[in-house]
Amino acid sequence: MRVLLIEDDEMIASGLQTGLRQAGYAADWMRDGRSATAALQSTTYDVVLLDLGLPQRHGLEILRELRRGGNSIPVIIVTARDERENRIAGLDAGADDYIVKPFDLDELMARVRSVLRRAAGRGDPRITHGDLCLDPATRTVEQRGIPVRLSAHEYSVLEALLQRPGTVLSRAQLEDRLYGWDEPIGSNAVEVYVHSLRRKLGSEVIKTMRGVGYFVPKP
Amino acid sequence: MNSIRARLIIALTILVALVSALAATVTYQRVLHETSILFDYQLRQMALSLRNQVSLAPRIEVPADQGDADFVVQIWDSFGTRMYLSRPGLPMINQTVLGFADLSVQGEAWRAYGLQTADGVIQIAQPVRVRGTLARGAAERVIVPLLLLLPLMLMAVAWTVRRGLGPLQRLASEVQRRDARSLKPVVSEDLPIEIRPLADELNRLLLRLQAAFAAQRTFISDAAHELRSPLTALRLQMQLLDRAPDEAARLEARARLGDAVARAIHLAEQLLALARSDPQEAVGQVEAMDLSAVAVEGVADCHALAVTRQVELSLESSPTVRIAGEEESIRILIRNLVDNAVRYTPSGGCVQVRCAQTSGGALLEVRDTGPGIPAADRERVFDRFYRHAQGHESGSGLGLAIVKAIAERHRAQIDLADAPGGGLQVSVRFPRSP
Repeated sequence: MRVLLIEDDEMIASGLQTGLRQAGYAADWMRDGRSATAALQSTTYDVVLLDLGLPQRHGLEILRELRRGGNSIPVIIVTARDERENRIAGLDAGADDYIVKPFDLDELMARVRSVLRRAAGRGDPRITHGDLCLDPATRTVEQRGIPVRLSAHEYSVLEALLQRPGTVLSRAQLEDRLYGWDEPIGSNAVEVYVHSLRRKLGSEVIKTMRGVGYFVPKP
Repeated sequence: MNSIRARLIIALTILVALVSALAATVTYQRVLHETSILFDYQLRQMALSLRNQVSLAPRIEVPADQGDADFVVQIWDSFGTRMYLSRPGLPMINQTVLGFADLSVQGEAWRAYGLQTADGVIQIAQPVRVRGTLARGAAERVIVPLLLLLPLMLMAVAWTVRRGLGPLQRLASEVQRRDARSLKPVVSEDLPIEIRPLADELNRLLLRLQAAFAAQRTFISDAAHELRSPLTALRLQMQLLDRAPDEAARLEARARLGDAVARAIHLAEQLLALARSDPQEAVGQVEAMDLSAVAVEGVADCHALAVTRQVELSLESSPTVRIAGEEESIRILIRNLVDNAVRYTPSGGCVQVRCAQTSGGALLEVRDTGPGIPAADRERVFDRFYRHAQGHESGSGLGLAIVKAIAERHRAQIDLADAPGGGLQVSVRFPRSP
C-alpha cells in the first residue's frame, strides 16, 4: 500500500512517515500543494493523508481538484483545524475521513485501514481468499486457521495481490506498493518475496503471467 | 452631600428664602415711604381743612375722633392757650411746631404738622407706628404666598429630578447586565443631553473592550491551534518510541522526541514573549540603555545556531549606542531578528548585524543572504503565525510578530528591504532617547 503524505510540518511528516513505514506502508511525503498535485498525477497511491494549512495551495483546493478530475482515491484530512465548519467543509469537499491533530497514531492507522477497506468494497475488515485469511489490523495471515509468519514486505505483496484477485500486478507496480521514493529497492526484491510466499503458503497461491507480472486467481 | 436632588432642594430653599426676604424688605421700605408721603399729605390736608373751618366759625367744635387713624388734633390760640384737644385720653403733645416734625412723646415717635392760622396754630399729630404697621402688613401679604409656594416648588423639583434621573437609572441597569460576552453599545438616543456624553463614552469604552476581547480570543484560538503542531509531533514520536522495532529506531525516535519537546518549549516561550510585548500593556522599566551591548549579547545567543548551520554571523557596532528602552525586550527583539536571519540563510551564507547611532536616534540592521521576502508579503510577515510560502523552517511563526510588538512599544520603525546582493535587510530605527 502506498500512502501520499501532504504535510508542511517536517517533524510531524517525518514521524508519520516512520510510523507508516513501520506499519508496512510505502509513504511519500510532499510538503506543499504544488508538488503534491504533481505526485498525484505521476504515481498511483492507495490513500492520501492531507493537511489543510499548506503553503502555496490550500488542502481543500487540492482535494476538490482531485475529485473533479474523477479520482476517487481515499483521502483522510489530518489537520489542526477542529471547528465544525472545517470538518463539514472538508468532508463535503470529498474527504473520506477527518482526523484532528494531535491524533493518536493507532487511531490514524485504523482510519487508514478503514478507508482502504471501503475503497476495496469490503465490509469485513479481514481479507479472505480460499483457505487464506488476512487481518490488516494486525498484519497477520492464517491458512486453514493456522497462523503463518510473514515478513512485513511479504505481507504487503500478498495484501496487494489479494486486494483485487485476478488482476495482474507488474513487478514495478508491486515495488511501488512496497517502497517510498526515498527508500532503496533491492534489484529482484519482489521475486524474492513471491518465492518466499510460495514456499510458506504453497505454490498455487500466487500465479505468474510470464512477462507481465503476478496475480492471485479468482476463487 | 452628594445627591443632586438634595442639592437642588437646598439651593432652591435658600433661594426662595432670600427672594422672600428681599421682597419683604423692599415692599416694607416702599410701602413705608409711600404711606409716609400719603399720611404727611393727609396731615397737611386735615390741618388746612381745619383752618378753614376754624376761621369761618372760630368756636365751632371740630369733628371729633378721626377713628383708627390715631390722629390727635390740637388748636392753640394766638396767646398759646390750647383751645382744642381731640382725644383727651392720649398722652399730651405739648410742643408746638410749624410744618412737619418728628416728635417723641413718652418714648413713642409721632409725626406732627403744625399750621399757623390768623387765630393761632393748628397741629395734627399721628404716631409713626401706624405707618410701620401698614408697611409690615403689605410686606406680609407679599411674603406669605411665596412661602406657601415653597413646598409646591420643592415637590416639583423632587419630581423633575426623579424624572430627569430616570434614564440614568435605566442606563445603570443596562450596564449592570453587561459582561465580557455582551458588550453591545448601550442605547443613548432617548437620554437627556446632559447624560448622553457619559453614555457615548461608555459605548466607546465598550467598543474598545469588544475589540480587545476579540483580539484576545483570536490570539488564544490561534495559539491553541499552533500548539497542536508541536504536540502532534510529540505524541507521534512518543508512540514511535514505544513501538520502535530495534535499537536504531529507538535512538532515532528518542532524538526526534527531544526535538519535538524543544520545539514545544520554544513555542511556549515565544507565546509568552509576544504576550509580554503587547503594545497595549503598560511599558515596564524604560531606561537609558546601550543598544550595542545588548546587540553583542543577542548575537552571542545565536552563535551556536549559526555554527551548526554553517552561517557566518558578524556584528559591527559603535562602542555605545544610546536608546531608551527595556533591556530584556530589546534583547528578545535582537535575538528574534538574528535567529530568523540565520534560519533562513542557506549554509555558507552570512548574517551581518549592524548597530549605530544616527542623527534621528539609533539604527539596528540585520542583513542576510537568504531568499529574502517578496515585497507583496512584507506586510503579512509581521502577522502572528505567518510562515513564508517557501519556508521549510518549523519555527513558531511568532518571531516577527514579537519584533513588531516590541518595536511598536519603543516607537521604533521597522523596514524590510532587499539586502544589497540578495537576501533580506531588516532595519529597526529607534527614536532619539530623551
